[in-house]
Amino acid sequence: MIDLSPLYQTIADLFAFLANTTHCRALDCMQARFMQQALLGLLLLAPMAAAMGVQVVNFRMAFFSDAISHSAFAGVAIGLLLAQDVHLTMVALALVIGLAITSVGRRSSLSTDTVIGVFFAAVVAFGLAIVSREPNIVRDVQMFLFGDILTIGRDENLILWEALLFVALLAFQVIGYNRMLYVGLNPVLATAHRVRTRFYQYTYAALLTLVAIFAVWTVGVFLVTALLIVPAATARNLARSAGGMFWWAIVVGLTSAVTGLIISAQDWAHTATGATVVLVAVVWFAGSCVVAAMRCPGKR
Amino acid sequence: METAVLFDNVTVTLGGVQILSGVTAAVPKGSSAAIIGPNGAGKTTLLLALLGQMPFSGRIVMDHGDRPRLGYVPQVLDFDRGLPVTVLDAMVMGRQRRPLWFGHARKRRDEAVALLARIKADHLVSRRLGALSGGELQRVLLALALQDRPEVLILDEPSAGVDISGGSLLCELLDSLQIEQGFTRIMVTHDLSMVAAHTDYCICLNRKVFGQGPTMETLTAEILAATFGVHFGVAGLDVPQQIIGKHCDWPRHQAEHRHD
Repeated sequence: MIDLSPLYQTIADLFAFLANTTHCRALDCMQARFMQQALLGLLLLAPMAAAMGVQVVNFRMAFFSDAISHSAFAGVAIGLLLAQDVHLTMVALALVIGLAITSVGRRSSLSTDTVIGVFFAAVVAFGLAIVSREPNIVRDVQMFLFGDILTIGRDENLILWEALLFVALLAFQVIGYNRMLYVGLNPVLATAHRVRTRFYQYTYAALLTLVAIFAVWTVGVFLVTALLIVPAATARNLARSAGGMFWWAIVVGLTSAVTGLIISAQDWAHTATGATVVLVAVVWFAGSCVVAAMRCPGKR
Repeated sequence: METAVLFDNVTVTLGGVQILSGVTAAVPKGSSAAIIGPNGAGKTTLLLALLGQMPFSGRIVMDHGDRPRLGYVPQVLDFDRGLPVTVLDAMVMGRQRRPLWFGHARKRRDEAVALLARIKADHLVSRRLGALSGGELQRVLLALALQDRPEVLILDEPSAGVDISGGSLLCELLDSLQIEQGFTRIMVTHDLSMVAAHTDYCICLNRKVFGQGPTMETLTAEILAATFGVHFGVAGLDVPQQIIGKHCDWPRHQAEHRHD
């Protein structure tokens, strides 16, 4: 097992330096090990969510990530029923659901949101049916409703998996960002011009599913979609080009994560970290709307 | 005469309704072919089948193998106009490997600007795609379709959304590009004047093929009446000279740009 202590010490030293330089006592909270673990988890998750969120917005797939996050209920229920690790069953079920939605959506004449809606209803109904039969499961399910920012940081296996996902996703974004943009512009046009649309759609769905499940563990089912789309929506308002949209999303995602974590740890706030991170991102979004309105004053 | 695209008994059925019924037609290599027919004739469906976007029975055989270089200009581009993508981004995203968040490669930028200049659209290079007019977007889509040097260029109602002079200019541009690059052109259109002036092969389609061959031999009153309905026959007009409009300088184009 890799010892992450030196990394945590570096984080502690960096924030100690910043606190001393700026005389900002709010940063002192970062000396606690659990805060360093939370920060590391968020520093991996936030840019992944922001980058994937750019395509969620381009593909109009917000509902897709909602369905995946809500499959967590059923994933937990299956895990507990089969006496398996719930993290494993959540990931497995979410992958099956994500790829099934993509496959049915590509083949069916139904609109994409209708297809997603059917799967959404199925996983939520299945999860609730199981939970209603087994009252002991309710507490475990609640854990994923609200998430726990320390879930990933506390478990070194999970943080290594998250780091692996980060590398895979970075590689996918480097290789596929331009082609994904083409598919987002118009899939028929992209396919006609020799873009391997099917490959990109399935790979993207699988990676987005994994990011959504990590986000469920961290910020809870309710806030997964917000973590994905708010930075990307903000980036849309601020960017003037396709490349700019990516960088703005990363900046908004990362700054929201760090600021939200620090605010949530203050005595005067004492709020849930996931919710605080999303609220900071929403403030970014509000600011971006003002900027967009100033750029195009005539647009209503 | 070599065949670029062969439609062999192509049938498309959607929701129990037969859209295309045993369509058999051959598009000569290097030709400028038009697919004409009334609304609902299945013209766009046939193009979508050719593009692999529509399930069909029968065969579509292309001279250029399983994965030919196709250029496609849709009638209407259904896209999100709020997307912050510039014309240069759009031109580069299908060709550049390096992600656009690391900027545009100089070589790709130069290629894109040169191609846009060729179709008199280089002034649009920094504009957002969503802010373009119908005619401007049509030009950018044409540039996108041409940048991979297609073997077959497929256009769906290229003159839709542009005025008569714009449509005529677009056709003249296509004629000269075809001479330069030697691609086969397949064009769906309602505009018979454009067909007469800028194509040398014609397929008359209304769920099935009512006639095909060299444009001037195919645009007869009988075939047009059978394809479009009785009103063409009732009109009793000689085609193409009287049915077609006069804004294209037929027959000069036909003589100059014939590829057979």
